[in-house]
Parts: sequence; structure tokens; C-alpha cells
Amino acid sequence: MSVGTHSGPAASGTRPTAGGDAPWRRRLRFFLAVLRARPSFALGYAIVVGVIVIAALAPWIVPFDPMTADPAVYLLPPGGRHLLGTDGAGMDIFSRVLYAPRVDLTIAVTGTLVSAVIGGAIGAVVGYYEGQRAWRRALSTFVMRSADVLQAFPVFVFAIALVAVFGQSVKSIVIAIAFVNVPIYLRLTRSQVLSIRQLRYVEAAYVAGASDLAILWRHVIPNAIAPLVAQLSINIGWSVLLTAGLSFVGAGVVAPTPEWGSMIAMGFQNIVTGQWWPSVFPGIALGLTVFGFALVGASIEVLADPARRRVLSGSLG
Amino acid sequence: MLLLRYIARRVVFVVPQLFGIVLVSFFLVKLIPGDPAVMMLGPTASAQSLAELRDRMGFTKPLLQQFTRYVTDVAHGDLGTSWQTTRPVTEDLFQRFPATLELITFGLLLAVAIGFPLGVAAARLKRGPVRKFADYYGLLAGAMPDFWLALVLIFIFYTVLGWIPAPLGRIDMAVLPPPTITGSLVIDSLIAGDWEALRSSLGHLALPVLTLGVINAGPILKMTQSMTERTLSSDFVRYAEMCGLPRRLVLRQAVRAALPSVVTIISVLYGFLIGGAVLVEMVFSWGGAGQYAVQGVLNADLNPVLGFVLFSAVLSLVIYLVVDLIYFALDPRLRS
Amino acid sequence: MTTENRRGHPVRRRDVIKSGAALVGGAALPGALASQASAAPSGTLVVAAPATPQSLDSNFDVSLGTFEAIAALYDNLLEFKKIPDPKRAGAFREDIADHPDMPAGLAVQGKLAQSFELDPAGKFIRFQLRPGVKSNWGNELTAEDVKWTWDRKFGLKAIGAFYLSTLGLDKPEGVKVEGKYTVSINLDNPNPLLAKLQPNLYAPIYDSTKCKEVATADDPWARKFIENNSAGFGPYRLDQLQRGQQAVFKARPDYYLGKPAMDTVIFREVPTSATRASLLQGGAVDIAQYLQPLEIMKLRDQKDVAVDSVDSSFMIWLELNAKIEPFGNPKVRQAMNFAFPQEQVLKTVFQGLAGPLNGCMPNIYAGFTDKFWKYKYDPAMAKALLKEAGLASGFKTSLAYNAGDPVQEPIAILYQTALRDIGVELELKKVPAATFYNAVSERKQPMIFYVDSPWCPDVGYSMTLYFNSDSFVNYSNYKNEEVDKLIKDTSHTNDQKARLEMMTKAQDIVMSEAPWVFIAYPGYHFARRANLKGFTYYTSNNIRFQDFTRDA
Repeated sequence: MSVGTHSGPAASGTRPTAGGDAPWRRRLRFFLAVLRARPSFALGYAIVVGVIVIAALAPWIVPFDPMTADPAVYLLPPGGRHLLGTDGAGMDIFSRVLYAPRVDLTIAVTGTLVSAVIGGAIGAVVGYYEGQRAWRRALSTFVMRSADVLQAFPVFVFAIALVAVFGQSVKSIVIAIAFVNVPIYLRLTRSQVLSIRQLRYVEAAYVAGASDLAILWRHVIPNAIAPLVAQLSINIGWSVLLTAGLSFVGAGVVAPTPEWGSMIAMGFQNIVTGQWWPSVFPGIALGLTVFGFALVGASIEVLADPARRRVLSGSLG
Repeated sequence: MLLLRYIARRVVFVVPQLFGIVLVSFFLVKLIPGDPAVMMLGPTASAQSLAELRDRMGFTKPLLQQFTRYVTDVAHGDLGTSWQTTRPVTEDLFQRFPATLELITFGLLLAVAIGFPLGVAAARLKRGPVRKFADYYGLLAGAMPDFWLALVLIFIFYTVLGWIPAPLGRIDMAVLPPPTITGSLVIDSLIAGDWEALRSSLGHLALPVLTLGVINAGPILKMTQSMTERTLSSDFVRYAEMCGLPRRLVLRQAVRAALPSVVTIISVLYGFLIGGAVLVEMVFSWGGAGQYAVQGVLNADLNPVLGFVLFSAVLSLVIYLVVDLIYFALDPRLRS
Repeated sequence: MTTENRRGHPVRRRDVIKSGAALVGGAALPGALASQASAAPSGTLVVAAPATPQSLDSNFDVSLGTFEAIAALYDNLLEFKKIPDPKRAGAFREDIADHPDMPAGLAVQGKLAQSFELDPAGKFIRFQLRPGVKSNWGNELTAEDVKWTWDRKFGLKAIGAFYLSTLGLDKPEGVKVEGKYTVSINLDNPNPLLAKLQPNLYAPIYDSTKCKEVATADDPWARKFIENNSAGFGPYRLDQLQRGQQAVFKARPDYYLGKPAMDTVIFREVPTSATRASLLQGGAVDIAQYLQPLEIMKLRDQKDVAVDSVDSSFMIWLELNAKIEPFGNPKVRQAMNFAFPQEQVLKTVFQGLAGPLNGCMPNIYAGFTDKFWKYKYDPAMAKALLKEAGLASGFKTSLAYNAGDPVQEPIAILYQTALRDIGVELELKKVPAATFYNAVSERKQPMIFYVDSPWCPDVGYSMTLYFNSDSFVNYSNYKNEEVDKLIKDTSHTNDQKARLEMMTKAQDIVMSEAPWVFIAYPGYHFARRANLKGFTYYTSNNIRFQDFTRDA
């Protein structure tokens, strides 16, 4: 643990404060106070937790099997046994909407995490080595220019191309998402590391003889993480959108896997003939979920940035 | 002059970047399964004519050789032909890029018109309904899938209300488009004084621009708000306030200082939308470049994809250069 | 802050935003934008089609958009007589029934040919061409044009080769120029299709004078020219072709049967059927092709729109690839049919607009029989058959479907659910529209959708297409030697009675061996403005612009 990023004296996690409260309890109370003061954050956490719970419990809570087509209930409007109606293959929309996060979240979270780990690791190394002598500088310049090249690609077309190459499957969508997100984490980590490595305690560790790897691992990375985590949350939301977009185009999950984007695509033709429910409900669910993740990301941004946290706790009174 | 030297330096860097882009995309696109010869000649072609075509197009040569050939062709301005449209890719792209650019330019203009004032207002007012609305809108807008919003808008304004013309293309079928000068139907109609074409193209632009504008206003709003908040609490603004400068003037200074980041995000959005507006293009049958590239990938039509990637990469780099020049103009600190 | 800056950007930026907002804002008045479809002059026909023609060369291109183009730009030697459609008042269709009392046993009449003479033994046919017929390039129709057209089939093979083999014409010398306006086709063996094949959409006659002008040493058959232009004797000429956008056809005032009523035809590409339907509803187009069942149902209620639903030669089915296990076993194929919920699919996905496919050829062709149909939905029977085939515990397989055909995905999903009942696990594979036909012809999929129609209204022709083991279009790899023999014999005799008997037998065998999962006869549903008259159904499932007139 190092100084500089916590609002109090270097808390090692075991020293109780004057009030007799354990620090984790103090932080929890602070967190809850924040949620009360900023209801939007609370809403975000509620949505994210809700979606995760629904995804986990889906097999037990859905009224109908999400992949069973029943022609007897073809394109029924919402109401009655089918809360949100049925689609053009006779599948229950409510069940499919509830089931979809299992696929969407898995893909988005996996892809984002993979890209965060890879991009973060590379970015940390690059940021640490930048500007130093010889091969280290060359390496970091090369990596940065490659990241430029990757980022200059039109994201969506790139993702579709990747899926086309690897074949239509969950795995290839994850790969596509990971690929397009790596540069983001790379840059983010690099800029974080660039500013952190100036700090005194890093210099101290270096002088004390710690190896580069140890410095990176014990001092630099833990302090660079906070903006990454905020970005993660926002990115997960964005990756869900990308997955949905890919499915809409036909380069996403295989039919009839319940997935919000492919549900919107299946209902696309029906909107003009007046059957709006197969496309609208999944879109609402999708938007809400991404919204929730964005709110959570925003809250992490505020909580992790000591300056903004100061402002916030000041306003809490 | 300093400016020219800066631009020259940037342009020099562009060449290796472009090369890298072409390299990566070429090999990626070659990995896409699908036999181009069969696509081009159709399944009734004999094995012999297929082999002939493959030979002629160089598909049988080693990849590296194909790549060199492609790069030399590109250097001569030849981006190959699309088997779907049977026309040279350059022609196709020249026809489609103005459509995409018109769409995203108007879309971003609307997004700025919505997001920027709201962001400034939200930064100024710490509480109140405006602030609340801006907070939620900023996040919600970025959360909505653009293709879904497009469908909903079509349903409301076309199927139910009938206010908007049929979502097909950029201009009514019965209306003759104006002579092409810029490629933008709106501008060209204005130049030609063709009011019917103007009305028709604006009508067709309404929904897609609304879709893109509403959604992209979100990030612009958030960035404006957070940057303005930051500058409003910074030292020089505090100083100005202490000196008794009127509120409006202070605000203007703060906003001015927040501009570079806002310009950044607009440019990022612009670059993103070149390929990222494809879903909206598809819903509205816009005939844009993104749609063209996506059809290329899905149908293993490689040249359009490569051509599109090149074009959009060049465009992005140009945008970033322009943005950096704007920085120069905005931020005096950069000039020394 | 220096004075330059204050003078600089804020003003410019604000102006830009303001003017941008004004443009968009002012135009956002409701109603101001829904441009009234400017009433097209009554001689203009606007068609919303799924695709523009790819290539205009009927020797190579079988894409959707090309059919209407060929029908407008080219004419045939013979055509079928027209009769009113029995199911739809106001619509017409070709008279394709057997008429033993008429020449050639068919209701054909001369088109480019003034008259014809058919050998009773079926070994030759002679045409007397109409004198004074001009092509769109001003060249007169002569026997030389017919000869060149058939020579081109020999020279280029591809689709032409198919017509040659169907007729049993194996050398160019078989086509003889016997006079300026006299030409004959001569065969070594009798063939029943000599006359019947002439009205076929893809047997048009080229203007050889023009073609020879534009031919080069590298391109002796004028391929490049014909791909993008027309050189024919049809009622229209090609005015403009922008692939992916539209094609414009203009009527020829010097057409030998008189200038068509529709002077200009705009053939516009509208990829989404929902948009085609709304364009028709709004009056922006006169014809919306290939709509979905739900859209058709909705349009039927509209005031200014009419839908002509007629029987057609279309069939939709699933190919069961006999070369991929377990579909080599007929019992398994029968089981797949018993497990298919045909009635429900017809009721829901097709909204009752399609009829059940209870045979293996179009039910409007003479010689069709449905008496060998036995696959009413019966999962128990399916299970029993699988058990007999040694697959009591079911099996896994996959079904490929066309992303561009909206009925296929729901049918696939419904079938997937139904198959679970008999222990078959079906994986679905979505194939993009442009590459779908390749997926079919590659024959690498165990199951794949196919929608097709045999154009020539002949029982032997229909059966040979799909069930002759040599046929290019036999995508299910079906092979039965007895069927092959029956088909071969049928194609070598002129005796219609004998042919009908043989093909009845062939249908018996094919139906019990079930090379397909039989889905539906989708019918042909022609959606048009109510004041458009003259719709005629052709077995090639295209429209001919020259048929249409408009009520005031």
C-alpha cells in the first residue's frame, strides 16, 4: 500500500479509528451515504445487480423455455400468459428477454476483462518503459503506433470481419470485442502509469533496488487501477451494444439463442406491419442494462478520484 | 512556418500508419472464408473458367505477392472491383462516402446542438431539474442501441403518424437529385436552388439524423459537463470571480477552456461514426459507405472492405490532424 | 487571453451550430416532410424490387433482378396463349395445359416466329420468322439471329449448355438456317420439349448483327456487351442501369406488336420487403415484389392496393443431402418429413397464403399427382422410423437457411423445436443472402432450404431437374436408377400419354424415398396499386412490363 491516494493516513486495514469503527465499515457507510445522496448511482447499482441476478436465476424464473417455438402462439401481442407477447417463431418474448443477459453479459464481461488484462498489462509496461533508453523506447513506440493502427480501424467493420474469420460463435464475438477494446485499456493504463512513475515512492522503490517487475506489480499497477475499473464498467455496457449490433447484422450469435440484438433483428421486419413488441422490449432491456453499467462506471469514477470524492463527501454534509 | 512544418511532420507519420492499416486489414480480410472466384462467376461456372479467373486475379499466388500487388494497385489509385456491384471500388466509394458523411455531419451537428448547451447548463446548475435531466440523458443516450432507436422512430413517425417519408434512401424516388457538386444532397440542392430536392432530402435525413443526434449528444453532454465543471472549479476561474467579473464572462472563459476536450470527443465520435453509423445506414437503406463495407464482409467481397478501411482510416487521420490544428487555435499554450 | 482569440472561434462555432440547427429545426414541421409522392405520369411504371439485375446475360445470371430485365428486353420465338386466371378475376396466366388437339399438343402461338412446324416424331421444328421485326439497334430479325443465339449456347456453355442437353442437341449444325426467315432445329433423337422450351424466359433471341459488331477476338460472343446492354427484339430498351440502385427501361415505339402502354419503367432496388410494402401503400411505387405473408395480409385491407394471389410454380423445401449421414437412409428422410409440422407452418409463417407441398413438382403442371403424399404430421411415426433405422436415440445435424428470406428463420426455429420431440438435435446456420446460392450448390450442408420453380411446364422437365442423378440442380444428391431410367425414357419420346404414365411412376418412387422435407407451394402474390391492370402470371415467376395498363 502506498500513500497519496487515500483520504486519510495510510490505513493498513487493521487499525481501528477513534470511533471504534473498523475501516471497512466506515467505507461501507460512506458508500451508502453516497448512494443516498446520489440516487442515480443507486439506480445504476440496482440495475446491474438486478440484471446479474436475473441472468443467474433465469433458468428457474422464466415461464416458458426461451428456445421453444410454439406455432399456436404466433406473434401474439403482449398480455395474458405471454407478458411481453410472442415473436415470429412463437417463442415467448418475456422469457427470452430474461434469458438474454446470460449470453450478452457473458460475452461482454469476458471480452472486456480479457482486453483489460491484456491491454492493461501491455500499457503498464509501455508506460513504464517509455522515454527510457534504447530498445525500451523503441518497443514502446512500436506498441503505441500499432495501437494507433488498430484504433484507426472502423470498429464495427473490424468486429464483423473478425467474426466472419472465426465463424459465428460466442467465442469469436468475445475475441472481436477483446480485440477492439485492447487499445483503450492500453492507452489508459499507459497514461496512468506515466503519471504515477514520477511519484516519489516509485523512485524510492527503484533506489531501494526493487526490480522493474516488482515495482510495476506492487506499486504502479494497484494505483493505476481505479480509472481502469471505471472504464471497465462503461466498456461492458458498450460491449453489450456491440454484441447486439453484430447480431442485428447477422454476424452475432446463432439463432435462436436469446440475445437482445438478434431479437431486435428478428422483429425488424414486423415493425412496419405493426407488430412492434418483438423488437421494442429487448431494446428497452438492452438500453436499461447499458445505462445501469454506465451509471456504475460514473460512480466508480467519482469514488476513485480523490478530488471528486472530496467534493462529494463535502456535499454530503 | 511553424504550422506548415507541423503539418508536414504529421503527414510523414501518416504514411507508415496507412501502410500498417493496409497490412493488417489485407491479411485479416484474406482470412475470411469464401471462394471469391465462385462468388464472381456464379455456381454455374465450369471448373476451368474458375481456375482461369483465380489465376488472373492472382488468388493462387502466395499471400505476400498478392499483398504487394494490392499495394501497388492502391498506389495507382486502383482499389479493385466489387463482385457484388461489378463496379470499381473507387467508384462505389465515391458515390457512397458523401452519403455517409452528410448523414454523420448533420447527426453530429444535432448532437452538439443538444449536448453542448445542456452540458454547460448542467455544469452551471448544481441542482435542479435541468441538472437531473442532463445527468440521466447523458448516460441513457449513450446506452440506447442506435438501430433500435431508429426502428422505434420509424414506427412512431412513419407507421403510426405518417409524418416522414418512407425510410428508403436519401431522396424520394420520384424526385431528381440535384447535380453533384459536394455530394451532399442538402448542400447541392441549396446551390442549385432546387427546393423540391431540398425538401425531399431533408425529409429523408430527418429520422436518421435524429437517431444519431439524440444518441451522440450523450457523450458530448457528459464531456462538456465534466470539463466545464472542472474548469469552473479551477484557479483561474476562481480568480476571475474574485476579481468581480460578471458571471456570464466567467462562464465563457470556463467553457472556452473546456473546449479542447469537447472538440476531442466530437472528433472521436466523427471518426467512429464513419464506420459506426452502419447500423443506422442499414435500417434506412441509406446507401452509405459503412453499409457497403458490411455487405462486403458478410458476402466475402474483399475489395470493398479493404477500400473502405483505407478510406475511413485516411479520413480519420485527416480529422485528427484538423482537430490538432484546432487545438493550436484554441489553446495558446500549445503555440509556443 | 490575447485579443486574437476572443475575435476568433467562439463566434464561428456558434454560427455554425446556429445555422445547422436552423436547417434541421425549420424542416422538422410535421407533414412538411412527408413529400407527397409526386403523381408519376400515367405512362410510368415504378417497381420496388429486392434487387437490380446483376448481369443482363441470361446465359450466366440467375439472380432475381435479371428476370424482369430479360422479359422486357428480349422476345422469344413462341409464347403460350393467355387465359384468365381461374382463381383471381382480372388476372391472366399462361395456358400450359396439355391440348392434344392443338399443334404440338400445346396452346402456343408465334411471337417472333410467325408460324412453326413441329415434326410429329419430335425430331425437328421449323420456324418461319416474322419479317420486318426490328431490334432496339434497328437491325432486322433474320434466321441468322436464331442461329447465332444457339451457337452462343454452344460456345459459352453454362446455362446454355443446360438447354442444349435438355433438348438433346449436341452439335451446332443441328440448328439450320434455311432461308432469310426460315430456321430449324434438328435432333438425332425425338424430344418432347422442342416447342415447349421456346417460350422459356431464358431462351431469348439476340440481335446477332449488333453482337457481332461489338464482339472482339477475346470476346467472340459479346459477353461484355450483353452483360450491361441489350441487343434484342423485346418491347423495351435499357435506358439506364445503376446496380444496387435502379434500372430504367424505355418502351420502344418500333416494337412489332406496338408500343407498350407503360412508356417508362423504373425498376428500383429496395432490399427490405417491409419498405417495399410501405412504398406501395404510400403510392410511391406501383408494384412491390416479393412481400412477406404478414405484409400481404396487411395490404389486402388497404383501399388503393390490390394483391393478386395466384397458383404458381414455386416450391419451397429442405434438401436432405443423401451423401451426408444419416440422410443416406430413406427411412430417416421419411422420419424427418413426419416430424415436420407442415400445417402449423402454413398457418403461422405463411398466414394461410401457401398450400402444402404434397408432391415433388409444381401442382399446376400436367402430370402432377398428389396421391403419393403420406407425410401428415406424426411424431410417433417419425420416432418409429428412426428406431427402424437404428437411430432410436436420435442424432445431431444442422440446417442452413438464407438470412435474406424472412420466412426461413421462423420455419427453421419451429422445426428445431418439433425435432426435439423425436430426439433430433438441430443446429441452425444463418447464411448471408448473396452467398446462399453458393452454399446450396456446394452440397456440403446436411440440410438446407431451397426455393425454386421449374420454368418449363413439363412433367419430365420438372422431374429431371431435381431427381435426375446427373442434374446440376439435384442438390440433394438423390440417386435412384429406376427414376433415372424413367426420366431418360420420358425425354426421348413424343408420346405424351406414355410420358405421363412414366412420370407418375417416378413420382411414386421419389415421394416414398423423400429426398426432401416437403414444405409448401408459396404461390405468387402480386402486390400492386388498385388501378394497375393486366397482371399475367408466367411460370418463370416474373412480370412483363408490357402487359400493364392503368385505369384512369
